[in-house]
Amino acid sequence: MQYLLLIYEDESVYGDNHDSPTVAEIVRRHMAFGEEIGAARKGGAGLQPTSMATTVVTRAGAQTIHDGPFAETREQLGGFYLIDAPDLDAAIAIAKKLPLHADGSIEIRPLLEME
Amino acid sequence: MNRALDRAARDHGARLRAALAARFRDLDIAEDAYAEACARAARAWVTGTPRDPAAWLFRVAERAALDMVRRRLVRSSAMLPDPEPPPDPEEELMAGNRLIPDERLRLIFVCCHPAIHPDARAALTLRLVCGLSTGEIARAFLLPEPTLAQRLVRAKNKIAGAGVPFEVPGPDAWADRLDAVLSTIEIAYARAHADGGGTGRHAGYAGEMLGITATLATLVPDEHDILALAATIRFAEARRPARVDAGGTMVPLDRQDPALWDATLIAAARPYLARALALARPGRRSLQALVHAEWCSRGSLAEPPPWRSILLLYDAMLLCRDDAITRLNRAVALAEAQGPAVALEEVDALDAPGLADFLPYHAVRADLLARLGLAEAARAAYDAALRLGPEQAERGWLEARRARLGGA
Repeated sequence: MQYLLLIYEDESVYGDNHDSPTVAEIVRRHMAFGEEIGAARKGGAGLQPTSMATTVVTRAGAQTIHDGPFAETREQLGGFYLIDAPDLDAAIAIAKKLPLHADGSIEIRPLLEME
Repeated sequence: MNRALDRAARDHGARLRAALAARFRDLDIAEDAYAEACARAARAWVTGTPRDPAAWLFRVAERAALDMVRRRLVRSSAMLPDPEPPPDPEEELMAGNRLIPDERLRLIFVCCHPAIHPDARAALTLRLVCGLSTGEIARAFLLPEPTLAQRLVRAKNKIAGAGVPFEVPGPDAWADRLDAVLSTIEIAYARAHADGGGTGRHAGYAGEMLGITATLATLVPDEHDILALAATIRFAEARRPARVDAGGTMVPLDRQDPALWDATLIAAARPYLARALALARPGRRSLQALVHAEWCSRGSLAEPPPWRSILLLYDAMLLCRDDAITRLNRAVALAEAQGPAVALEEVDALDAPGLADFLPYHAVRADLLARLGLAEAARAAYDAALRLGPEQAERGWLEARRARLGGA
């Protein structure tokens, strides 16, 4: 089955500087993680912070554009992996290995299977 | 209803459903196919019961399940496999010699998977492993039947849709996953136990917890936590006959007549506890079982209640898990060993979310306040407990205690 692993962390821990040692460290750990899970990794990317987010909202047919993410939350979506795993337990095992700076949450979502 | 079918369903139902679920990796198919087999048995067994009723049911359910799988494949317009020929008499005979695999442990782990909402785990286990009807479970959980049914559907959809595996977890996940299983049983049993009178709603349901812990202990014989829980549930159930007086009012533990306790269940509990203690240093669940064992060792009301040893056991339990419920239970023993003032101080220092909705918290506080002569505060605490909807026997007890305080 294919699962999307959505990584939620407090994005402020990474600061604004992309060249900071904190960012370099997490990037290094993500590379190592990608190597470790090997062929199970089908795709993925890190995201720019929610200050870069724009949301298109449709309500009763009317569309409006908003600055910011869909919802203000304590932890923000910061990246994702698309993985292939035999079952949920295997996906959970991979999610548990995902590098985090400190606290965070990984949401595991199975993809809809298209026949 | 056919008596042979009744007996076969009771003795083999869980095993058959589990075997079907493991074979077809689908809980709905397992349930529907098993129900279909029972329906066919109800018609077919009128003229005579098969030699091996379990094998008959399994064979017929297997065929029904294959039909369902085939119909699904047709719906999703995939390739249709060749239909299976109907069973001939020789095949029916052969089926009796086939071994039905015991997949109950797998099914328990599926139902209690941490990815399933905790509220749904116990319900799903009672439904699929114990075979209780949706109506029975809804009554036990004080939920409208449609709500409970919806919860079960959602849980089953999650299992199928999210890819929850039909596997017993490996060593690295074992501890966590087993804990989810045992917590589920604890939650389910706590509901049955909270109703001291067992006034109908939980009839048979506490018994299911005896059955499922026995099954677990057979399937996984060397896990001390399973053995400890099996012991605890037996000790606790053994006291049921003494927990309510002739007038239907709750009798507190230290006033229960040990002569009324079920000696057979107590005798069944002890070997479980002994094995648990032989296998590992006592953890929270073994200490819990020891508390029950200590009470169940009381020979008669003439013997003093074992409050001092109970307090020591709760002290040890705090080292395993320091939470509000353990502290509250310890406070009850503390009140007897060192007086109500110290105990009340402990109880009032408790701070946990949900404590205000926890009936024993108010009941214990009310009792301590009453003993300290703080009648008004005690009345308020009894009222808080009564507002949380205690069962009939517990209500009777709380009301009687409150009345003894006099006043409004």
